[in-house]
Amino acid sequence: MPKLARSEWYDLTRDMNWTLRYVEEDQVWPQVQSNSYGIPTEQWWIWDEPYKITYPEYVHNQVDKDTSVYAVNSILARSAMYENLDPGWKSAILAHYGAIAVPEYMAGIGEARMGRFGRSAAWRNMATYGTLDETRHGQIQTFFPHGLLPEEPRADWAHKAFHTNEWGVIAARSLFDDMFTANDAVSTAIQLTFTFETGFTNLQFLGMAADAMKVGDVDFASLISSIQTDEARHAQQGEPTIKVLIANGQADVAQKLVDHMFWRTWHIFALLTGLSMDYYTPLEHRKHSFKEFMNEMVIKQFVDQFRDFGLEVPWYWESHFLQELDWYHHGLHLGVWGWRPTVWWNPDAGVSPEERDWLEEKYPGWNDTFGKVWDAITANIRAGKPELTLPETFPMVCNMCQIPLVNPAGHLVGKLDSPEPLILDTDGRRRLFCSEPCKWVYEQNPERFAGHLNIIDRFLSGVIQPPTIEGALNYMGLSPAEQGQDATNYAWAFAGQPGSRQAS
Amino acid sequence: MALFPVQGIFDGDFVVLLVPIDDTDPMSVVAEKVAYHAAGRRVAAQPRPLQVRFQGRVLADTATVTDAGVGPLDVLQVGYR
Repeated sequence: MPKLARSEWYDLTRDMNWTLRYVEEDQVWPQVQSNSYGIPTEQWWIWDEPYKITYPEYVHNQVDKDTSVYAVNSILARSAMYENLDPGWKSAILAHYGAIAVPEYMAGIGEARMGRFGRSAAWRNMATYGTLDETRHGQIQTFFPHGLLPEEPRADWAHKAFHTNEWGVIAARSLFDDMFTANDAVSTAIQLTFTFETGFTNLQFLGMAADAMKVGDVDFASLISSIQTDEARHAQQGEPTIKVLIANGQADVAQKLVDHMFWRTWHIFALLTGLSMDYYTPLEHRKHSFKEFMNEMVIKQFVDQFRDFGLEVPWYWESHFLQELDWYHHGLHLGVWGWRPTVWWNPDAGVSPEERDWLEEKYPGWNDTFGKVWDAITANIRAGKPELTLPETFPMVCNMCQIPLVNPAGHLVGKLDSPEPLILDTDGRRRLFCSEPCKWVYEQNPERFAGHLNIIDRFLSGVIQPPTIEGALNYMGLSPAEQGQDATNYAWAFAGQPGSRQAS
Repeated sequence: MALFPVQGIFDGDFVVLLVPIDDTDPMSVVAEKVAYHAAGRRVAAQPRPLQVRFQGRVLADTATVTDAGVGPLDVLQVGYR
């Protein structure tokens, strides 16, 4: 360990900034890797991380964290903990591993880009730790599910998912490529570390760790808590980057970057976390609804931060975002359950009589809207016709968020004037958008997004062969054994039904 | 005859569907093709005739897809009368 106190050498060794003489700035920091937004080099040198740590301290901390969390995993691997977990919770963590594990490695690419192309030495230092963090998160979140393989073969989707064209993976990959894999360093700091991590995942991981403990999944709780402590540190790269932009008259740039990525993140977050919180987590262990979580954690924190920095809430806050809290993830849940063969986990319907009462309490009017759709589904299950609850065609998909168009659900609950998607006809192509913000994100930078084909574009253009449900499932990498089924074999449909038997 | 996809929305359902139709289909057939994926599945089936709406207009049952000017990926709303 150093013989000097940290305060005596930290700033000196951290601030390794210098004036270039032998090369041009654009050669060292090409705009495509590090968009300066016109801010002069020296102005970036005021960048100052709120949380300071040295490399020896970092290594010491990380060794302790890994020792602890792998010890928990090693002990629990010899127990029957996983097989005794609630089926809905198992679905939540299988979905999580597939959607998050490999993207942690991808986030390492974004952190490494900031580690090389960040515009101040202090920032590059922090991002180097971030690169190591994300590598650790990728390793740990592929190692833990690997231990589940004897119990659950689909735990291999922790590694497999991002090597497939499964529709949810296409949506997540589109988001993550936009956010960090194919983003410049300055924009990554604001869109990944400030918007995505500070705004969403840091808080989500706290909530998930608490939920995991309540349902008895000590393994996952330990894992997520360990990751969250890293997130809380490296997420702080966004704040000083925003401060530099604002101090140099570029608040509008920061605002636009946040507006863009907050919306995209919200949609994927609703798909993953909305379903887990309101439908997959066992009723007796739910602390709050997804809407309450969003209001108490994400929204309050974000509004405070926007105002602290002198930014505004995104332009769509009242008109679209707050409106969607009441319906969007309920529509997505119906879609994921209805198209369950297209996902790698077993969706839990989560609509037993007691669960419906809870949903009605948390979302007044749920029974008269979404409940009616579930009534029709339930009737088919009870009548012994589960085949009528399985898909024979596909939903249309948004060309920005890559998520199925559930606009009719928003119309059903009176939040949208029309059930129809927004349409943009350009370049001989028809593109569909679920919402004004998705269309706005596309129109801000069409050349960035125009070449992408969503899963339905691929189906209609002949990429997916044969053009059938089976052909699409094969294209998505889902063998019959991997395709999702109802998590409880339809037990929810018969709950409280005297003399009924469970569907086969 | 030419098969092409439209976006179908059935009243009371939650999602926009991909539905293949033929340009010679009359609207009575188009309505059935959209309803097939929703009515009796996620929306309670009713013993009532169906109708197709396109760009805010109710289309005649006998009008063909070509007559109505419906093209690929246009949005058709279908529901009970």
